[in-house]
Amino acid sequence: SLSLFAIIRYCLYILFFTGLSPFLFCRRQQYVGKVRFAHFDTHVQSSKKVVVATEKNVFAALNTRTGELFWRHVDKTGSEGNIDALLLQGADAVLVVGNGRLLRSWEVNIGGLNWEILLDSGSFQSACLVGQQDNVKYVAVLKKTVISLHYLSNGHQKWIENLPDSETVDYQAVYSGGNGEVYVLGVVPHSHIAVVVYSVDDGEILKQFSVEAAWLSNIQTSCAVVGKGMLTCVDSTTLSLYMLDLHTQLQMTQLPLQTLGLEVDPGFHPTLVSTQPNAARQPLSEFFLQLGPEHYVLLQLNNGQIVTLRDFKPAMLVSFATTGEKTVAAVMSPKNKTACGLNLFSADTGRRLLDTTLIFNMDPYGGKPETLYVQAFLKKDDSVGYRAIVQTEDHTLTFLQQPGRVMWTREEALSDVVTMEMVDLPLTGTQAELEGEFGKKADGLMSMVLKRLSSQFILLQAWVSHLWKLFYDARKPRSQVKNDVTIENLSRDEFNLQKMMVMVTASGKLFGIDSKTGTIVWKHYLDNIPSNAAFKLMVQRTTAHFPHPPQCTLLIKDKDTGLATLHVFNPIFGKKSHITPPALPQPILQSLLLPLMDQDYAKVLLLVDDQYKVSAFPSTKNVLQQLQEMASSIFFYLVDSSQGRLSGYRLRTDLSTELIWEVVIPPEIQRIVSVKGKRPNEHVHSQGRVMGDRSVLYKYLNPNLLAIVTESTDSHQERSFVGILLIDGVTGRIIHEAVQRKTKGPVHVVHSENWVVYEYWSTKSRRNEFSVIELYEGMELYNSTVFSSLDRPHAPQVLQQSYIFPSAISTLEATLTEKGITSRHLLIGLPSGGILSLPKMFLDPRRPEIVTEQSREENLIPYAPELPIRTEWYINYNQTISRVRGIYTAPSGLESTCLVVAYGLDIYQTRVYPSKQFDVLKDDYDYMLISSVLFALFFATMISKRLAEVKLLNRAWR
Amino acid sequence: NLHKKNLIYYAGVSSQSNGDRFKIEGRAIVPGVKTQDWVSTARVLVEGEEYVGFLRTDGSFAVNDIPSGSYVVEVVTPTFRFEPVRVDITSKGKMRARLVNFIKTSEVIRQPYPLQIRGSPQSYFMRRETWGWTDFLMNPMVMMMVLPLLIIVLLPKVVNTNDPEMRKEMEQSMNMLNPNPELPDVSELMTKLFSGSKGSGKAGGSSKGTRPAVKRR
Repeated sequence: SLSLFAIIRYCLYILFFTGLSPFLFCRRQQYVGKVRFAHFDTHVQSSKKVVVATEKNVFAALNTRTGELFWRHVDKTGSEGNIDALLLQGADAVLVVGNGRLLRSWEVNIGGLNWEILLDSGSFQSACLVGQQDNVKYVAVLKKTVISLHYLSNGHQKWIENLPDSETVDYQAVYSGGNGEVYVLGVVPHSHIAVVVYSVDDGEILKQFSVEAAWLSNIQTSCAVVGKGMLTCVDSTTLSLYMLDLHTQLQMTQLPLQTLGLEVDPGFHPTLVSTQPNAARQPLSEFFLQLGPEHYVLLQLNNGQIVTLRDFKPAMLVSFATTGEKTVAAVMSPKNKTACGLNLFSADTGRRLLDTTLIFNMDPYGGKPETLYVQAFLKKDDSVGYRAIVQTEDHTLTFLQQPGRVMWTREEALSDVVTMEMVDLPLTGTQAELEGEFGKKADGLMSMVLKRLSSQFILLQAWVSHLWKLFYDARKPRSQVKNDVTIENLSRDEFNLQKMMVMVTASGKLFGIDSKTGTIVWKHYLDNIPSNAAFKLMVQRTTAHFPHPPQCTLLIKDKDTGLATLHVFNPIFGKKSHITPPALPQPILQSLLLPLMDQDYAKVLLLVDDQYKVSAFPSTKNVLQQLQEMASSIFFYLVDSSQGRLSGYRLRTDLSTELIWEVVIPPEIQRIVSVKGKRPNEHVHSQGRVMGDRSVLYKYLNPNLLAIVTESTDSHQERSFVGILLIDGVTGRIIHEAVQRKTKGPVHVVHSENWVVYEYWSTKSRRNEFSVIELYEGMELYNSTVFSSLDRPHAPQVLQQSYIFPSAISTLEATLTEKGITSRHLLIGLPSGGILSLPKMFLDPRRPEIVTEQSREENLIPYAPELPIRTEWYINYNQTISRVRGIYTAPSGLESTCLVVAYGLDIYQTRVYPSKQFDVLKDDYDYMLISSVLFALFFATMISKRLAEVKLLNRAWR
Repeated sequence: NLHKKNLIYYAGVSSQSNGDRFKIEGRAIVPGVKTQDWVSTARVLVEGEEYVGFLRTDGSFAVNDIPSGSYVVEVVTPTFRFEPVRVDITSKGKMRARLVNFIKTSEVIRQPYPLQIRGSPQSYFMRRETWGWTDFLMNPMVMMMVLPLLIIVLLPKVVNTNDPEMRKEMEQSMNMLNPNPELPDVSELMTKLFSGSKGSGKAGGSSKGTRPAVKRR
C-alpha cells in the first residue's frame, strides 16, 4: 500500500509540473556586419537577391523579401580577408580579396565558388569590368605596378602588363568604356595626370599621354569618367570643374563652378557621383556633384557643355539606379526631425517622377542615414518603381518599399557584440503595483484596507485574464501563437528563465533583447563613441528593489587616452537614467563594483584614476560613510602589462589608496596576456569531494585568487612557453606557478571554484592542449566558516593534468547555475561554428592512469590523453555560429538550467542542462498515461474494496 | 608599346618570388548528395581558422597562399562530417597527406593527395528515451509480476482440478506456500486504509497499527 501511495503522490506531483521543451528556446540570429558594397542581383527579373560584401570580410546574399540570408561566406578576419572590390556581372560576382591577393568569382544563385586565382603581389588600387561589343568578358585589376586582365569565365589571365614609370606615377583608377580599350589613370601629385591606354586584345599600349594638373592628388575621390570618355574632376581650391576628353587628349578645360551658378559650402571637399550601368558601354553623361553635406546638383554633359539639370538642397543622399534602358536618380531629403523623403528623378531630364515618394522614418534612438542603395524596376505600365536599402550610422539596414513600408531591418551592429549582461525581468505589472503600494507611506487604516482589497481584485482579474489567454492559446496550433513581446507584457516567468539581454556593440549601439524570443525590445545608439573604445557593463541595481528602477552603468573608455565616460540607463526599457553620472576628468585605470549598496539599493561603483585616487558612484553621504567603515577590507589590483607589473592596493578611509604588494613579471621575457578572477555570482555547493575511502578532500576556495597567464616574448618554437601564475589578490602571495614549455598562445582560460582550465598550442606536437589545475586544502579544513586571505597558513595542494584537444578553439567558458549543485561543463566555441559542452569530469587531475577500486567508487574516468568530441555534445546542433568571440553564461531559477548566449558574428541563445533536467519533466511526458494510471488505481481500489466487502459478507454467512 | 616583351618576362619572375607560398588542393564529396546543395555552407579550414578556403560548385577546393609546414585541413559544414587530414608541405613544395593522429604525431598513414575527402551525415542528437507500453511490459520487474500471475490463472485450467487426488495435493502445496496465516491480507488492508482515511485523520497516528485480519474472523 505504501508503494501505491508513493505512486499516487508522484503522479500528483508530476501533474503540477510543466514540461519545458529545449528546442523552443534556442535561437540563432545571423549577421554579416557593416555593408561596404551592395549590388542588387538583376540578371533574372524575379531575383530576390541583394549581394553584399561587408567590413567583417563577409560575402553574402540577402533575400530582399525577408532580409534573411540565402547564403553567407565568412573569410579570415583581418586584412588578409578584407574585401577590396565587388563587381557583379550576371550571375557572377567577382571579388578582390586581401589587398589584391586573391581574385574570386562566385556563383550567386548557388553560393558556390566559380574560381579563385592568386594574383601577383602588389597593393591593390582598382578593378573594373571590361566589355567589348556589348559583351562583358573580362575583369581588369590595377595594382601599384601592374595591370592584368582576366577572363570572367575561368579567371585565367589574358595578359599582364607592367605600368610605365610606376616609380613616379601613382596609378589609381582603371576605366573601360566598351570600345576595346582599357584606360589606366595615374597621377603625379602636384604635377600631372598620366593616362595609359591598353588594347583589350593583347595588352599593347595604344596611347600614352600626360596632361598637366598641378591641383590633383587623388583621382578616386575627385574624378569620374562621364559620357563619351570625358574625365571630369572637381577641385576644391580653385572651385572649378576640369574636363579632359580621353579620346582627343586635348588640354584640360577649366570651368569655374561660379559660371554654372554653383557655390561650394565653405570647408567642404566636393565630390562627383557618376554611373556606368553597363560595363560594355560608356557611362551616362549625367552625374551628381556634391557641394555640401546636404547639397547636391544633377549635372549633364551635353556636347562638351555642362548643364545644370536640377539643384537638390537639402539632400542627404543620392544614388543612381538603372532598369532596362532607363536610369533614374534617387534623392533622399530630410522632411522633418524624424523622417526623410525619398524621391525618384529622371536622370536625363531631372524631372521628378510621379508617385515615387517614399517616407523613411528614422529611429530617434538610431543614427543618421549614411548610404543609399536603390533597386529600380519597370512596372507593368512601363513606369519606374523602386525599392531601397538605407544604411544608417548605427549599421542598421532598412529595406523600404513604396509607399514607405519597411519590409525588414537588419541590426548589423549586433555582428560585433563586445560585452553583455543578463538582467532579471521585473515582476508582472500588477504585482509590481502591489509591491508599490507597500512601498508608499501609510495613510490611514481604512484607505489601506481599501487599497489592499482593490489590489487583490486587480490580481484576481489579471489571473483570470491570464487563464483565459492560456486556454485561448492552447486551442491554436503552437506556431500561430503570437510571440509579440512588448514592454507591457515583459514579465518574469515562474523559473526566471526569461531575462533581458543587454548587449553592447562596438559601434556604440546598445540593445535590449528578450532572451526567450530573441526580439529586440529596445535599442539605443550612442553617438560620439571613440572608435577604439573599451566597454564595461555593470548592473548596479537589479529589478528586485521596486519601486527603484533597475540600473545599468556602461563605462566607455578611450583606449588611447584612458579617458572614460559613464552612461547610466534602465536595462529593461533602455532609457537613459535621470541620474547624472560624475564627470571623469582623469584617465581611469580600474573600476570595481562593490557589494555595498546605497540607501536606494544601488551597488557602489569605485573608479580608480591614474593618480590612484578613488571616486565612488553614487557618492552620497551614506555611501561615503559606508566606504569609510569598510575601507580597511577593500582591496583591488592593477595590471600594467607593458611593464609586467601587478600591484595590489588597499583603500584608505579618505578614499586614497595604499600600495600593499607588487609582483613584477619581467616584460622582456614574458608578457601578461590575461588576468582572470572568479565570477562574483558563483556559488559552490560542496566544500569538498568525497573520496573512495569515504574521507573528504576539501577544496581550496579562495575568492580572491587570480589566474595570470603569460606568454614568452621569444616566439621561436623551441624556446616559447606559456606560464600560469596563481596569486592571491589581497596579499599578493603566489599560490602556484606552472610553465608549459614549447607552447604558445592564444591562451584561453576559465577560472572557477577551485580550478583553472586553460588551453594553448603545443608547438612541439602541433596540437591544442588543455591543462587543468585544481587546488585542495587537504583532508582538513583550516577554518570552515569563513575564508580569509590574511589567515590561511597552509599552502594548498595543487594537482595538474593535461590533455590533447583534437580541434582549435575560439573561446572558452564554464556553465553556471543557481546553487552550484549541478555538475559543471565547459562550453568551447570551435572555429567550425560548433559550441561544445564538455563535462568538467573529463578535465579532472585526479583521473587515474590505473583504475583502482577506490577510483571506480569515486566515479573517476580513467586517464586518456585525448579528450573526446562527440557530436551529441554540440549544444547548437547544425546552427553553427561564425567567429564565436564570447560565451555568456547565467544561472536561471531552475538549478538544472544554465542560460547560454554565444556571440560573435552571429548570436545564439540557448539553455543547457549539464546534469540533465533533473528538476523538470520532459516535454513529451505522458500526462495521459499518468492520469489514466491514477484513475485505474483509484477504481481498482474502489472495486477491490467492494469485492472485499462481498467476500467478508460471504465469509460471515459461511 | 616599347617595353612590352620584357614586361611579360618580368611578370613571370614576380610570380616566382611568391614561390614560398603553396596551395592545398582537394575535393570533398558527400555520396548521394548533390554538391550544389551544400557547398554554400561549407568552408575549408586549415589549422583552425589560420587559412580559409571555399568550395567550388563541383566540390573541389584550393586553399591558396600557404607557407610550408604541417597543417590539419578540415572541411566544415553544419550538416556533414568530414574527416580532417594532415597535410605536410616541404620547403620545396612537396605535398603529402596523412591521417591525423594527435597522440603519435609522427606516424604516417598516407592519404591521397590532392585530397579526397568524403563526408557523411552528421547527427547531433541522441535518440530520445521514449516511454511506451512495450517498454513497460518488457521491464523485468513487470515480467516477474506478470508471469506468476499467468501461471496462477492458467495452471488451474491446464491441470485437471476435478481430480480429487490432485486437489488434495494442491491444497497441501498451497498450505505450504502460505505458512504464516498471521500476515495481513493486502486487499483488506487497502480497503481499510481508504475507507478509514477520514477516521485516521482525526485519530492522529493511532490507526497506524493495523489489526491483523485473523482477529476479524
